Amino acid sequence: MTYRTITIARDVQFAAKQTAAESRERFARQGTLVVNLLSSPGSGKTSLLQATARHWQGRHTMAVLVGDIATDRDAQRLTPLVPAVQLTTGGACHLDLALVQRGWEALAVADVEFLFVENVGNLVCPASHDLGEHLRVIVLSVPEGDDKPAKYPKAFRTSQALVINKTDLLPYVPFSLQQATEDARLIQPQLEMFPVAALHDEGIEAWCAYLERQRERLREAV
Amino acid sequence: MHEVSLVRSLLEQVDRIVAEQGGRAAVEVRVEIGPLSGVEPLLVKAAFTQFASDCTLIIDEVPLTARCQSCNTAFELENFRFVCPHCDSREISVIRGDAIRLMSVTVDVPEDGDVQQALPTELVSVETGLCTTSERR
Repeated sequence: MTYRTITIARDVQFAAKQTAAESRERFARQGTLVVNLLSSPGSGKTSLLQATARHWQGRHTMAVLVGDIATDRDAQRLTPLVPAVQLTTGGACHLDLALVQRGWEALAVADVEFLFVENVGNLVCPASHDLGEHLRVIVLSVPEGDDKPAKYPKAFRTSQALVINKTDLLPYVPFSLQQATEDARLIQPQLEMFPVAALHDEGIEAWCAYLERQRERLREAV
Repeated sequence: MHEVSLVRSLLEQVDRIVAEQGGRAAVEVRVEIGPLSGVEPLLVKAAFTQFASDCTLIIDEVPLTARCQSCNTAFELENFRFVCPHCDSREISVIRGDAIRLMSVTVDVPEDGDVQQALPTELVSVETGLCTTSERR
């Protein structure tokens, strides 16, 4: 018997990451900022997108790919406002780039300024999957507690912005904005923070202005 | 729980290496997993055994290692505190422990296997440039 050992030392997701980088580049060239939204279930990702769509109505174009294990309820909430396609994973805990690409084709929008990918509600698995996004954003809602950054370091480390939603509930639940901010910035010092109450359209202007700036930067870089 | 799809992808890569080496099968696969790899080693092991029961999987659990961009010190992170222990800078980059890496594959090759066979360039790691072969009998 002869055995030969081949040394590789390569990320198992190497090819997937390369494909994601190519997708990111394509979207950048067409002027579409791709935003991957990560959160626990029920943090208000869809509500945030509804508020974003209301804010931009008639000024900016956006579309949404929304991932869930089952049902198309989120897409139904969004389609009166913006083009949206439901991606149903059939049990899988995260979206992958192939699903996103199929969803983009199904959207059939020629040019859109912002493409949001609303990931499956889960702060673990989606953190390990590059969907070719330009921005990864975590939505954390006040009732979940301010300890989430410390508990889900990978999701926070790989994100560029944190939206703290349901701030209207701050008087009723133990949640320290300062604690959440400090913990999150210990993991990712560059994290941008946006406290919002999406249901009441509070804080949406700053969030949207941030996205508009990011898209400008993307266009300048191309 | 995305370990199953990752292991499938890992085994596809292993199969390709076996084919490129003109080997019969992989007998040992070594991977490196760290605290920010986003996978649970036990689940990786379970999925691997399910799909490739004749091959040994060795998992090296490595610490999360980073390099400070201010003072250039490399250090191990504790409790996910992304702060340089030497100069307190938060401008640090993770250099190890944030991915699942295929480190090596041991292939069962026929006796007259050509040891000098050149490796295809795609096998060369972009990250480390490492690519070597060794042989034992």
